[in-house]
Order: sequence, then C-alpha cells, then structure tokens
Amino acid sequence: MKVQVLQENLQRGLGIVGRAVAARSTLPITANVLIMTDEGRLKLSATDLDISISTWIGAKIDEEGATTIPARLMTDFVAQLPPATVTIESDEEMRRSAKLTCARTESTVNTLSATDFPRLATIGDGPGISINPTDLRRAIDRVEFAAATDDSRPVITGVSVKGAEHMLTFAASDGFRLAVADIALDEKQSVAEFDLIVPARALREVGRLIGDSGAPVELRVNEEKTRVEFTLTDVELSAQLIQGSFPNYTQLIPTEWNTATEVPVGDFMRGARIAAIFARDGSGIVRLQVTPEDAAREDGQLLISARADEVGDNEGTIDVRVKGEAAKIAFNSRYLADVLGALDPEGSVRMETTSPSSQGVFRPVDESGKDDYVHVVMPMFVQW
Amino acid sequence: MGSPSVLHVDLDAFFVAMEVLRRPELAGKPVVVGFTGPRGVVSTASYEARAFGVHSALPMARARRLCPQATCLPVDFPYYAEASERFHAILRDYTPACERAGTDEAYLDVAGCERLFGDGEAIARAIRARVRAEIGIAASAGVAANKLVAKVASDAAKPDGLCVVPAGGEAAFLAPLPVRDLPMVGPRLEARLAELGLRAIGEVAAWPAAALRARFGRMGEELRERALGRFDAPVLTERAAARSVSRETTFGEDEPGRSRLRAVLRAQAEQVARDLARDGRAARTVVLKLRFPPFQTLTRSHTPARQVALADDIFAAGADLFERLWREEGRRPVRLIGVGVANLMPRARQLRLGETLEADRLAETVGSLRDRFGDGAVRRAAEMTAEGR
Repeated sequence: MKVQVLQENLQRGLGIVGRAVAARSTLPITANVLIMTDEGRLKLSATDLDISISTWIGAKIDEEGATTIPARLMTDFVAQLPPATVTIESDEEMRRSAKLTCARTESTVNTLSATDFPRLATIGDGPGISINPTDLRRAIDRVEFAAATDDSRPVITGVSVKGAEHMLTFAASDGFRLAVADIALDEKQSVAEFDLIVPARALREVGRLIGDSGAPVELRVNEEKTRVEFTLTDVELSAQLIQGSFPNYTQLIPTEWNTATEVPVGDFMRGARIAAIFARDGSGIVRLQVTPEDAAREDGQLLISARADEVGDNEGTIDVRVKGEAAKIAFNSRYLADVLGALDPEGSVRMETTSPSSQGVFRPVDESGKDDYVHVVMPMFVQW
Repeated sequence: MGSPSVLHVDLDAFFVAMEVLRRPELAGKPVVVGFTGPRGVVSTASYEARAFGVHSALPMARARRLCPQATCLPVDFPYYAEASERFHAILRDYTPACERAGTDEAYLDVAGCERLFGDGEAIARAIRARVRAEIGIAASAGVAANKLVAKVASDAAKPDGLCVVPAGGEAAFLAPLPVRDLPMVGPRLEARLAELGLRAIGEVAAWPAAALRARFGRMGEELRERALGRFDAPVLTERAAARSVSRETTFGEDEPGRSRLRAVLRAQAEQVARDLARDGRAARTVVLKLRFPPFQTLTRSHTPARQVALADDIFAAGADLFERLWREEGRRPVRLIGVGVANLMPRARQLRLGETLEADRLAETVGSLRDRFGDGAVRRAAEMTAEGR
C-alpha cells in the first residue's frame, strides 16, 4: 500500500477512531488502527470489540492495500507533524512495518497484518432510520448519564431504544433514577416496532461524533438484532447490543403529584451546586423545601439547603411558582446536578413531588407544550 | 467505704510483652525492642534486661554492650497497635471517662460506676484479668484519689501488680519513695534537690513551702503540692462523638462452627444498627474483625455504594467479608469475631426506584421495642442459635 494524505485529515481521522481503540485488551491488535484503501479514499478503523468506529478521509492512492499500526504511537506522531502531505507506505507481504514520511521526517513503525484485524460486521446498506442530529444528540445527552456504571446488572448499563411509528424513545436507569427522552421522527418515516438495548458508552460516542453537525444520522440494526450501527457523514459507529430485557419503566413515572414547583433552571443549578459543596462529606444530601405563595408573598419559595458535620451549612432561596401544597424532599446532590445539567439553562423545570419518600419528577417547561423528556429521581430518606 | 476512683493502668514492658507473646521461648530472658541501625535507641527492655542497666532511650549499641546475651528485636508498630486498640477498648467498657496517655497507658475515673462494676479496686482487678485473658499480657494498675498518685502507684506496683492508695493516705504513700518517682522530677531537679539533702518525697513535703518557693519559684510550690499527693487535673474524657460503632465477642473456647459464628455476627449487626439508629446516624464502611489464637487479628472492610444503617445491610456486608476472610484462613477456629461500622454520617438512605420504606419502619419498630423491653423482646430467628436455643 502506498497513500498520500494531508496531515490535518489524518490527525482528525485518528482522533475520531481513537475513541474505539482498546485501552486494555487481551487481543493486542485491537490497540492498533486499521488503515486501508477503500474506493479512492483511506479508511481508518478501530475497535475494542464492543464498539467499532470507522472513518473515511481523502487520499491520493498510489497503491491499494491495508495494514494496522499502533494507534497511540501513530496519533502522537501525526499530531507533531507539520501541516503537509504524509506518505504511508507498507509492504505487508515482505516485512511487518510501515514507513511514514512527512516533510523531512521519516519513521518506520512495526505493524500487524490487516488480515488479523477483527472483522467489523457491516450491516449493509438496507433501509435505516434517519434521525435529526440535533434531536438525537439532545436525547443522548439527557438520558445516557442515568445508565448504571457498575456491571452487576448488565442490562441497565445500556440505554433502551424503542421505536414505534413516528417516535423513538430513549430510556436509561441505574435503579435510583430514570431518564426518558422521545424523538419525533420525520412525518414521512414510520418505523416497525423494535426494542433494543444500546451500550450507554456507544451512545455517548455517537453524541460526541455528531458534535455540531447538521447531517442526519442513520440507525441500522442487523437481522439477528445483535449489532447496531450509526452512520454519520464519513463516519460509522457500530456496537454490540446488550441482550436481555430492559425493565418496564413506565409504571415508575408517577402520573399524580401533590406539589408542582416551576423553577428557573439556571437559578436551581446554582443553588444545587452551592449546596453540593456542603454536602460533600459523603452523604451528599441536598434538602429542598417548597413553600407556596400566600397572602404575604407573591411568589412561592424554594429553599435549598445542605449541612455537613464539622464543616458547616448553607441555605439558598429561589422565587418559584408553586401549585399544590408545601413540600419537602431530599436528593443526592449528584443526581440533582445531573438532571439540571441535562436541561436548557435558560429554561425552566417543573418538579413534581408527592411525599418526602416518593419519586421526584422533573420535566422541562416548554411554552409550546412539547413533552419530550421526563426524569424521575428517587429521594434520599433523611431525618428532617 | 470503697477505694478511690482514679485508675492508672499501664501495660508492663508492652512491646517486649507482645514479642514474647508470639515467641514464647523468649519468656524470662533479656529482650530488648528498639530501633535497629547505628543511631537506634531502646524502646522497651524486658525486666530481665533492665537488671543489666538497659532502659528505654538508651542507644541500642550500649544496650548490646551492657547485656550481650539479650535478644534485640525491631519495633513492629502495626502488630502492637492491634493490642493497644484492644487494651483501650477494654478500658472503655468500664467508663467513657477514659484518658489515653499513650499506646500502653491510660487514666480512668470510675466514680459513679460502682453499682455496675464495683469500686476502683474491683474494676482495676477486672481490667487486669481481662487484659491477661484477652490480650495475653500483664497490666499494672494504680488506684488513688487523683491521676498523679495513681500513676506513682501503678509504677510502684510493677511488674504485674495492683496498688491501691486509700483516700487521705496519699502523702503517707509517697513519703518513703525517692523524689525521682514523682512525675515532673527529672535528673536535673533530682540533683538540685539532692544538694539540699532531699532524697525522699516525704522530705520534700516536710520542707517549708516558703523555702521551696524561694529556691525554685512557682515550680517549688507545685513540687510541694505534688509531694503531698495533691493534684487536681481531672481525667479527660475522650471525644464524645463516636467515629465508629462496633461489637465484638471473644469466645471462651475458640469457635470452629460456621453457623454459630454467623449467628453471633447477626446479633452483633443488630446491636450496631440499633446504636446507629439511636444517634440517627449511618455509615459508609462495614468492618469485620476476626482473631485467631494467640493474638493474630485480621480486619477487612467494605464500603458499599450506599450508606448502611439497617441490621440486614450491616450483616450482609459483614457476613460476606467473614466468609471470604475465613476461607482465606482455612476456616480455623476463631477466638474473636466482631463487626462494626466506620465513617459515620447523618442518616440518609438513597431510595431505589419502586422501593418503599417498609424495611426502615420495621427496623424502627423493632428497635423501639427492644429499647423499652430489652434485647429479648423481639428477635430474629437467625439470632436464635447464638443463644443456644
């Protein structure tokens, strides 16, 4: 193989696939990046066997071929090169090395044969679901963090992705909180019902890959329902689906409440962050007390407080709109910060509560009445 | 009338005693524990070595010259620390008014504990017996009206003795002792007193106060007060806020049975949970402790994601640690088992989705029944074997 690519294209490509390079693996080749010529372009791929990412970059192909190069070494090396043409030359049959030349720098690195690189199952070009990238990224950002991080129940380390007619529903829960986001599909698309569990990490990477891009993302699932593939412009991410059935979460979202409090997200976030400093002693308790407006006060009040033995305490008040009765509830400071961080800081959030020991429900307040996100957090049982 | 209430308890040649415990062949021989190396000094010398003039703070090299036949051993703090902790725990069983004066000594004020444990002398006897039985080494104790005299008394009682100074008899007890025995008298003051012909504490006490003040200033007054056995600093109680809560059980005969051990653990977990509930606290960490004969103590801890407060959770974590540790140790008979919690914090439990508060309500109800009617009022079936029923 002999190809010429621009240093900046190569660096960007390596940055994209680098997220899928195995950090620790029993299969040494997964620490390498696969480089191969593909229909006039250069294709870079990496996989840690759970997630695979491929990207295509423009290149001048002098001789077709493929090789694999240690990803870390190549990335560090290319990052230091001047913005000029990089020539990659390898002779897989004769020797196990590749020559990288750029300007007046030349290096030779050991390679592993491309034929040993794990086959990345391609799902093909069958019909996929086309999703608006902004909607997809927002749904991922609002849901993915609520997935479990310990492996004791693999099913909930994933995000449930359900499709029906014109709607996709993403849901994640670590057993203490639950986040559910809907994505409305283009009216022209109607999908057959499906139900998948996608590793949270894969979705996190998809969100990152989307960035500010405006091009639609295609979602495809293989026939065996074992892999999912997201196709972006010049980038493909595929992941092993998690097998099993995701817990039925609809009954965990209460439909009734005793108190509904409407709070500006920015103020709430600031109050919660300050309280979190005082809740750092390990218990992480942030107490919320809601007082409805009365004859004396035009606005309702949300009191946010935290205290730590041997440290001190903190109290902050926010003017809010309250429907229903006075309420108190305590949350883990991280869970509170997580849900507020997932919302538009310029907007408002509606917090619905029933009792100090039952679910708190958070919904963004949308003037147009759109109801595409709900986040349920279990409170902390504390002595008041 | 009972004996006075202030105790000074001091472990005899502590480091040496611990070394002899694990190397019984050293018993009755000169042993020196200290820091090896060219500038090392003696930490503790056995009484046999002391007969050769070896004492603590002496350079190791000199100790070797004075007593070439002595076995010299390096200091093994982690090993002593276990026993030290156990020693202080025994003391705290009698009174919270317990002032730690070092790894191997402490003052206690047992005033008010008579109905529970007997007078100062009885408590001193009980403590000495328990230290002997549970750690395997000797403790000497002094019982007196104040810390100063109690300290001198325990020194006078060594080795392995008990000395009670009746109230009012302080000056008489101190009088015949050399001035050196009085805390605050170091070699220099001793020499200056000797210039005046004062060698016994009683001779100092007999000197006119004005003369001592003229000679030594304010220190002179203090010296005379002490020589008369008067001292008013109270026994300082340790911090009230507990940093951990635990329960342990020492078996009369080493216990080989898994079900008995687990049942004891279960009962301990219940008690720990109740102590926590009473203070409205919970814990981050569960600690399990096992001791195998003669004095090998192992602890393991686990810090779950959520804080623990309920007996079920403490037992679950404790039992898990126990099973793993006991397996590692070849399931040998256990001398002591204990479970506790550390890293205490205000009680707050992160609820799970779909969880109700029934477990908490049950624990609260059982706890209040036991507080009112005693431990036997409500009991788990799993605790039954612990009581042999």
